Amino acid sequence: MNEPRPSTGVLPMIATVFRVMLLGLWRDRGAMVMIFALPPLMFFVFAEVFSGTDGDSLQLRVQVHDRVGSPLTAALAEAMTADEQLAAVALPAGEPEPRRAVTSGEVDALIVIRAEPAADLGADLDAPAPIVVVSDAARGLAGPVVSARVQRLLQRQFTQLGVARAAALVDALAGPYTDAQRDDLAIALEELAAAPLADAASGASPDGLVVQETLNGVDPDRGGISYYAGAVAILFLLFSAMQGAISLIDERTSGIVDRLVATPGGYPTVVAGKALFLVGQGVVQVTLIFAFAGLFYGVDWLGRFGPWLLTATLASAAAAGLGLLTASLCRSRQQAQTASSFVVLILSAIGGSMVPRFMMPDWLRELGWLTPNAWAIEAWQGLLWRGASPAELVPAWAVLAAAAALTIGISLWRARRQVA
Amino acid sequence: MTSSPLLVADDLDFAFGGRRVLDAVSLRLHRGEIVALLGPNGAGKSTLIRLLCGRLQPAAGRVRLDGRDPADSASARRRIGLVPQRIALYPHLTVGENLDVFARLAGLPGAAAAAAVAGALTTCDLASVAGTRCGRLSGGWQRRANIACGIVHGPELLILDEPTVGIDLPARRAIEQLLTRLAGDGMAVLMTSHDLDELGRICDRAAFLDGGRLVADGRPETLIRDRFGTRREWRVELADWPDEALVGRLEALGLEPEDPRAPLRWHGLAEALDLSALDALPAVEWRVRRPGLDALWRELFGQRPEVDEA
Repeated sequence: MNEPRPSTGVLPMIATVFRVMLLGLWRDRGAMVMIFALPPLMFFVFAEVFSGTDGDSLQLRVQVHDRVGSPLTAALAEAMTADEQLAAVALPAGEPEPRRAVTSGEVDALIVIRAEPAADLGADLDAPAPIVVVSDAARGLAGPVVSARVQRLLQRQFTQLGVARAAALVDALAGPYTDAQRDDLAIALEELAAAPLADAASGASPDGLVVQETLNGVDPDRGGISYYAGAVAILFLLFSAMQGAISLIDERTSGIVDRLVATPGGYPTVVAGKALFLVGQGVVQVTLIFAFAGLFYGVDWLGRFGPWLLTATLASAAAAGLGLLTASLCRSRQQAQTASSFVVLILSAIGGSMVPRFMMPDWLRELGWLTPNAWAIEAWQGLLWRGASPAELVPAWAVLAAAAALTIGISLWRARRQVA
Repeated sequence: MTSSPLLVADDLDFAFGGRRVLDAVSLRLHRGEIVALLGPNGAGKSTLIRLLCGRLQPAAGRVRLDGRDPADSASARRRIGLVPQRIALYPHLTVGENLDVFARLAGLPGAAAAAAVAGALTTCDLASVAGTRCGRLSGGWQRRANIACGIVHGPELLILDEPTVGIDLPARRAIEQLLTRLAGDGMAVLMTSHDLDELGRICDRAAFLDGGRLVADGRPETLIRDRFGTRREWRVELADWPDEALVGRLEALGLEPEDPRAPLRWHGLAEALDLSALDALPAVEWRVRRPGLDALWRELFGQRPEVDEA
């Protein structure tokens, strides 16, 4: 029989496994549709449904900044921190307003008390509203919801402010008031300040006291879209990586692994080849989603292609690692399918692939940082919405890279053990 | 065999979970030799194969393939071809593509891999189905492709686990011829099978494992002669279930039922039987033959071999 021939390195073997995976995908049209056609379609559905939705009962992160520091504005700020729905965190008066925290997503809305609201007939009706609610267009719900909550608080606890403004308006339109009327109004306003009308339907509108300010990212009107492009991308990266990695189990049960034990690279070569394929497949998949988002929704992903590609590669690697790890821990295809559905759905739900994380309660938002979804979305959102610099994206990239290295590393280690 | 053995396994001990799986097993294989590894389920065959392939390290003893330990030497492992019991092929790839994949995974560079694929296709008579996806082949062709993928990298030792399970007689004969041809070319072949007729036809040696111990090892005809001497195996097949009287007559002839739950077939070992008594039985047929490996199996293990379903 033939003498053993000189062996090639491990790379050609990894390339061979890559080719096996590629042919498997190419010849399975159902899998092709699932991996490459379904994600853009799902993104389209998410983008259409969620980017314009309304909501209530959101637990939003709100900060209040009292620029004035008068007794009245201090009382306003204190009421906003005490209010159960607003639950605002008061910022020290001297500090600069953390608008960056709004765009970065640390805070959903910032309430700025920039002037003292008039509590008497001397209100300047042409002056800008004394209270500003600053929010980010990417979280479209946050601004209106916080504004409404501030207005409700003013109506219930600072009724005199609305009445004073309304009275000043009447004075300007139909006045002037007589001295007697002015005296009566002054007394009434003092009484209201001491005992506000708790009834929200009192008719004392706080209109003109509160104004909304929306901060746009580098790509105005595309905040929600870029969020969902990232959210859908990482969701399908996980699904596809899990499906691809399940072939490891087929190879174990069919005896292919037994056969490969005699090869120079052994089973770990196969795992490495699969990891490489899944990363490549993931990058193509994410490219299709963002191409769709760029084509139909104007998301400018090509404008920052380098960092975008790095994010796509690291997110694909993290998803591939998670898929391979799940497959290496499961004994049968059926078990792996159940486990992978569970893992993908849980990670995606917590990580913000299904519902934006700003809509979640605090504890769930914090838990979300344990998922690759949250970091991938954070990186893409930072890149395409906030215009974050590469240095600002390093934490997200580092977490994704560490997750990939850890999961692929454990999968390789288990592959070595499983051949015995 | 007079040449030095290709594979030497000496006094192999192996325990798993506190249970002794192999106990001082020694085995030798020469180039061009076909050796059958036999034993009931749980006898330790799979563990022994894993030790020989270098997948496991023995607790005691040693394995050497041409002087090297397969557990430590990748080059020694590369000289082994393994054909698992299951169809260990990629079903979505053609036969040719599967061969190419396993040749490259075995470390053959491009041109050498292409030549090896062509060689394996010819050796295993697979050229006509080279472009067919393995998942679409019949069981017999799949089995043949399974073997081809085990030899594509040119191993010197081929280990096969039940290579003919689940296929029809012509396909089985084709695989027997293939294995005989490979051994004729100088390859050492170690195989497990429950098809003892097949093994009796092609193997040069049979090694019987029982409870982790090697209980017999030698040429089949020698083992059979040593065990049975000049005795012959007598078989009687009845037309109907026997009554007590008939059972008594059969037992008086020294026969016993092959399967006590369905006592239609009876057999026994004897140099001679009373032919007139035999002829008087209400039998469909009775026959006499030289004992084979199946008789030796029954003698050693007290049961009929059962096929592990893949």
